[in-house]
Amino acid sequence: MTDKSGKKRVGIFSLTCDEGCSIFLTEIFNQKLIGWLEKMELVYFLAVKDHVEAGNLDIALVEGVVTSEKDSEQIKKIRERSKILIAMGSCAVTSQPSGQRNNFNADQLKVIEEHFEKYKFLPKALALKDVVKVDDEIIGCPIDEVKFVEIFEKYL
Amino acid sequence: MHKCDLDVEISKLSKIEGHADLDIKIRDGKLEEVNLKVMENVRFFNQAVIGMAATAVPQLVSRICGTCSIAHLTACIEAVEKTLDVKPGAQTILLRKLTVYSMMIRDHALHLYFFVLPDMLDIDSLLDVPEDKHNLIHEALAVKEAGNNLGELVAGRSVHAPFEQVGGFSHEIDTARVLKIISELKNIRPIVLKLIEIFANCDWKFERNTNFVALVTEDFSFLEGKIKSLSLPANATQQALQAGGFEIEEEDYWDHLHKVVLPYSQATSFDFEGKEYMVGSLARLNLNKENLHPRTLRDAAKYLGRFPSQNIYDNNLAQAIEILHSIDHSIEILENNKFAKEEPVKPEKLSGENAGAIDAPRGTLYYALKIADGKVEELKLVIPTAQNLVSMKKDVEQIVSGICATGIGKVELEKNIVREVSKLIRAYDPCMSCASHFLRIKWV
Repeated sequence: MTDKSGKKRVGIFSLTCDEGCSIFLTEIFNQKLIGWLEKMELVYFLAVKDHVEAGNLDIALVEGVVTSEKDSEQIKKIRERSKILIAMGSCAVTSQPSGQRNNFNADQLKVIEEHFEKYKFLPKALALKDVVKVDDEIIGCPIDEVKFVEIFEKYL
Repeated sequence: MHKCDLDVEISKLSKIEGHADLDIKIRDGKLEEVNLKVMENVRFFNQAVIGMAATAVPQLVSRICGTCSIAHLTACIEAVEKTLDVKPGAQTILLRKLTVYSMMIRDHALHLYFFVLPDMLDIDSLLDVPEDKHNLIHEALAVKEAGNNLGELVAGRSVHAPFEQVGGFSHEIDTARVLKIISELKNIRPIVLKLIEIFANCDWKFERNTNFVALVTEDFSFLEGKIKSLSLPANATQQALQAGGFEIEEEDYWDHLHKVVLPYSQATSFDFEGKEYMVGSLARLNLNKENLHPRTLRDAAKYLGRFPSQNIYDNNLAQAIEILHSIDHSIEILENNKFAKEEPVKPEKLSGENAGAIDAPRGTLYYALKIADGKVEELKLVIPTAQNLVSMKKDVEQIVSGICATGIGKVELEKNIVREVSKLIRAYDPCMSCASHFLRIKWV
């Protein structure tokens, strides 16, 4: 799947979350990006690109929880199109904190239930591995820098 | 004149924080409807905090937004402190200023270099800059890195900073690293002056009569002051502009706002005293430029005459100037203070109701809390991007109507609209993760 230049095709995706992991990743980039660009092509990262393609990925980095039907469809599509899928950060790995509604009591749920139907929310917010096969995980809120570099470079 | 029908749908606007879609409907050559749709899924923070220990809430609400997490953390800490009568010491205030400056440097740099510069250079991504401009990538990373390292020094990390808490900081500054951070800040200063020049020379112009609102602070530190509003009618004289406007206390902000519902959107907007308005860097420069750091005033003098400005694209220039100010004031604070270990100040009481506001990178961020026996009973917050949505939508309407009136053909029309509208929305630096977080607030 690697493109003609021999570079790995990498996509960075955000499901439901605060996007803190991808923002923190742009801070890890401060030191690492120039070196990594020798080995990878960033083909999907809405934060910095307009023209994005989400096909034929070698590595997909995904942050956030699967909270709605739309999230669920998206993560399945990403899975189909990626060789390696890495769950990035606590939300993607454990469903928390973005899936905090899972822990709500009846009173709290009552206030938000109308929203569930309108935006087709799933009964519970899910970690990625509850929906698709995940090849690796990087824990942290946001991702731990040392762990990220170690795991990402393993696949690069 | 072509009288065409056209539906422009921009799905997932790129180079902004979070997800938003835009639908534009043109009928018979005229703009009929603009729908700006914030597509972030709500994460129900207003409900999640109920019953939580008030002192733990700032670290949770930090998770509302990855990019300006420090703004949420700091504003919520301020609200808890005001509600529970916590008086943080002078050193804590200095450390907070440094923390907020670290965020301004990183966050504005990400926006200007990675989101806006590609539009100016007519490329898709900063990573695609031609070889002769490759220094821009290195400069972008260097500026972000200096901000990131300052945040790490003071607050432990630049995203979801662990050391900043109610009453003080949990860790002391590693004094061995201070000199290195100062030298990094000094090194990026000339790069930032160059960035200011790039945006000062940018010829993009879009003006519409809107209102500006900002927290006006005496040292431009984004933390403590009065909320000021200044209407900018097109024919106002300079003197009238300076005399005009009015000030309110931070905690009264809520009383001057009204909710505006945006259909099809997971977000709600506001008007201020019945008028749409803009918050953020442009508003701050329009209302408070005289309080910038003396070194910033000196070195950015030739660009400051442009403010007050109604040109939305001057928000980019204003952000670049704020990076310089954040560098200059941070250097001054680091060079002139010794930092010692301090125990965080404890709350004087366990119950109360109050509010606090700071100015976040994208504008005034307001937190109001009701706390009983140390636990949160109610949280209300006002998010910068949510406040800008009405102004943003009206700007899009005006820009699209203008493009329609040129009578160009359908293909060109669509291309122009997509380009100009994306550019304009990016100038606001919207953050959709923030804008969508709340739901069903009790409006009083």
